[in-house]
Amino acid sequence: MTRLACFLVPLFPLAARLRSEPELLQEAVVIVEGNGPAAHVVAATRRARTKGIQTGHSLAQARSILPKLIARGRDSECERTAQEALLEVAETFSPRVEDAGEGIIFVDISGMERHFASEEELGKAAMRAGDDIGLPVRVGIAASKLAARVAAELPKSPVIVAPGKEAEFLAPLPLGRLTPELDAATTLQRWGINSIGELARLPESEIASRLGEVGRDIHSAARGVDPRPLIPRALPPEFREGMELEWPLVALEPFLFIASAALDRLAKRLEIQGFACKRLEMTMNLEPDGFHSRAIDLPAPTRDVKTMLTLLRLDLEKTPPGAPVTAFSLVAHPDRPRRAQLSLFGPAALSPEKLATTIARLVSMLGEDRVGMAMTVDGHMPDRYALADFAPPPPPDLKRKPRKSRGLLAARIFRPPVKVDVITRPSRSDEPGDIQIQAIEGEGDLSGPVRVSSGPWQVEEGWWKEGRDQRDYWDVELMRGGSYRVYRGEERAWFIDARYE
Amino acid sequence: MSVTATARPLEQLQFRLFRPVPVVAPQIVETPEPSPLRDDVRQLRETLQATVAAKVTSATELLRALDRTRREETIPTTLDAFDALLGGGLPRGKMVELTGRRAAGRFSTVLAALAAATSMGEAAVLVDLGDHLDPQLAEENGVDLRRLLWIRPKTLKQAVMSTEMIAATGFQLVVLDVGLHPIRSRRVPDASWVRLARTAEANGTALLVSTPYPLTGTASEAVVTAERSRTQWLGRGKAPRLLASITTDLMLMKHRHRKPGAQGSVTFAAQDAPASVATKNDGTNRTDRTETRVAYLPALPAAAAGGAR
Repeated sequence: MTRLACFLVPLFPLAARLRSEPELLQEAVVIVEGNGPAAHVVAATRRARTKGIQTGHSLAQARSILPKLIARGRDSECERTAQEALLEVAETFSPRVEDAGEGIIFVDISGMERHFASEEELGKAAMRAGDDIGLPVRVGIAASKLAARVAAELPKSPVIVAPGKEAEFLAPLPLGRLTPELDAATTLQRWGINSIGELARLPESEIASRLGEVGRDIHSAARGVDPRPLIPRALPPEFREGMELEWPLVALEPFLFIASAALDRLAKRLEIQGFACKRLEMTMNLEPDGFHSRAIDLPAPTRDVKTMLTLLRLDLEKTPPGAPVTAFSLVAHPDRPRRAQLSLFGPAALSPEKLATTIARLVSMLGEDRVGMAMTVDGHMPDRYALADFAPPPPPDLKRKPRKSRGLLAARIFRPPVKVDVITRPSRSDEPGDIQIQAIEGEGDLSGPVRVSSGPWQVEEGWWKEGRDQRDYWDVELMRGGSYRVYRGEERAWFIDARYE
Repeated sequence: MSVTATARPLEQLQFRLFRPVPVVAPQIVETPEPSPLRDDVRQLRETLQATVAAKVTSATELLRALDRTRREETIPTTLDAFDALLGGGLPRGKMVELTGRRAAGRFSTVLAALAAATSMGEAAVLVDLGDHLDPQLAEENGVDLRRLLWIRPKTLKQAVMSTEMIAATGFQLVVLDVGLHPIRSRRVPDASWVRLARTAEANGTALLVSTPYPLTGTASEAVVTAERSRTQWLGRGKAPRLLASITTDLMLMKHRHRKPGAQGSVTFAAQDAPASVATKNDGTNRTDRTETRVAYLPALPAAAAGGAR
């Protein structure tokens, strides 16, 4: 038998806003819809409600009751991201999830009895998961979508409707519970029908003859019959968080403060789905008109908020948007975090996720071109190199003995090469064209008479093109100690590009 | 008379002063250590015969033993003289400092350590403050570049922060080369080195700090200096010269568990030197160019022995 759970967030516009601004949780806050005199309250916090503010009050009425009332407009971005977050929580329970909009989700929980001791336990787990993402979730479980939704609307959550007892459960409830926006409810109340049970007891044909097709549907619903199937949704290709700002922001720090909270929410949602962020896109709405978009490719999939925030900061510092920001949205393109099988007997392997986070943090601290895997490059010039993303192969299954070192002499490369002045002498009196270095005049240690000079060796690269590179190399040992690699470039200038050590 | 009369009380007084004060030995209460074994494992062992029970190992014990073995291991650099000074190689979970100015063979030692670690299948890191690595030469030296993370910070502070971050990630060998004298940017606080050593210890990382002058202070497990070096050239008279090798004298200045003062020397042969160079110079063949001569000095100055530099 099919069992459906309804996850419902009461006062959804307010809950979505408080999720983005949790510091307002204890304040008297109302969410208003409309502008100017038409602005009216659509949701209010408990503190505002206890003062007498109700849904439908105009903003002026509400402020006359409570002058210090905090009013926020409905934020479609907040509500959309809250709905997505709720869907993602639901997907951790079952892959079959239907998005009913406005803080209502239906979840097919058939076959979940093996994972939870009871349906009540499942309901409590869903409420806890909702709390984790900052949304107060109510849960109702029944065999039909209608009964599950009505159960979820009741204050004492979770409410479980036993299989086959839907009609019995609905009978004592007022007609308004059946469908809040039911036009026929007034007509039915004029007939003296107040509860769902009273409607269910009437003959279906009589109701249908008086109210038409709507009457037939209402009568079926009152008997607990809901033939509508669950329509599961497809997984989204990206995760989005954002916010419309109360006033335009011009400084970086306040913006990053708000973006940090959005990234935090994004990281939690990614974690729920077992994803990490590979690419972060940000769109900022600018004042008075226009928008600014940018994308940050992360060096490795990560969920580390600090890393993402640092990369965001660096990017914004490098290219500021150029106008005050009125709204923003962050889109995380998900990727599976790197996984690896660890070995008991081989060398200790690195945790791929930890490595990815560390590399991302290093890149944010040092810059993209300062961290990676060194690569050799074909060519003749000695200081050539390339950098690639660090992705080490998996360690061997069993430990290996180290290979005996070749004991080669290393050259410590100077990047960039150090310019020096050189005093030369003829290599041999009988060959005047051949020269050797007699002394070097540079800064610090790179100065002094030369004990031994050896060379030159000609190195040439790119002879086929205009900007070819040709150098004459010498190895020299200074009297004061230290062996260096010296070269003379195209412009007859002398450089030291390495020290042997 | 008066002298003797005054001397006796003084003597008595002295005896009283120097009388040994009775020392009350603190009572050591032996508290039984909590057994690492779970109750069900212990019960299982009790039901088995002693010979069989001795051969039964629980997974927890196995993991602990493996972890203990890993931490007690060393990562050899395969430079015999260097490894001999440190008792087998770079100890895991410890920080070793290699100091030496000018052409003291520091960078060759660093590459040898990286080559050995990557050849074992371990991932290694070079934090290269001066941006001195030549990937071609590193590969020639046997470094598996796929397993080497190359980090090029711009300041010493960034270098120390990067090293700490990387050591906490679980790399088995991290080499911090701070480059040439003078070191870029000013020194970092001593506490940074202590924190770095603790991070290495917590994660079982072998940490080698290569520096032109002592930096890590008391935080390091061992300090090896490579001060004197001799460059050897091929060719005599009017014949052109060819750089053949550099021989470096190493000395153990400080070690927490070994006697300081041990010496050794390592010869690094130039890449283009002919095969006969090493044989001619130090009696070893080309495949084994390092030479080990470990000897203890007869009388070592106290300052040097204590590693107070």
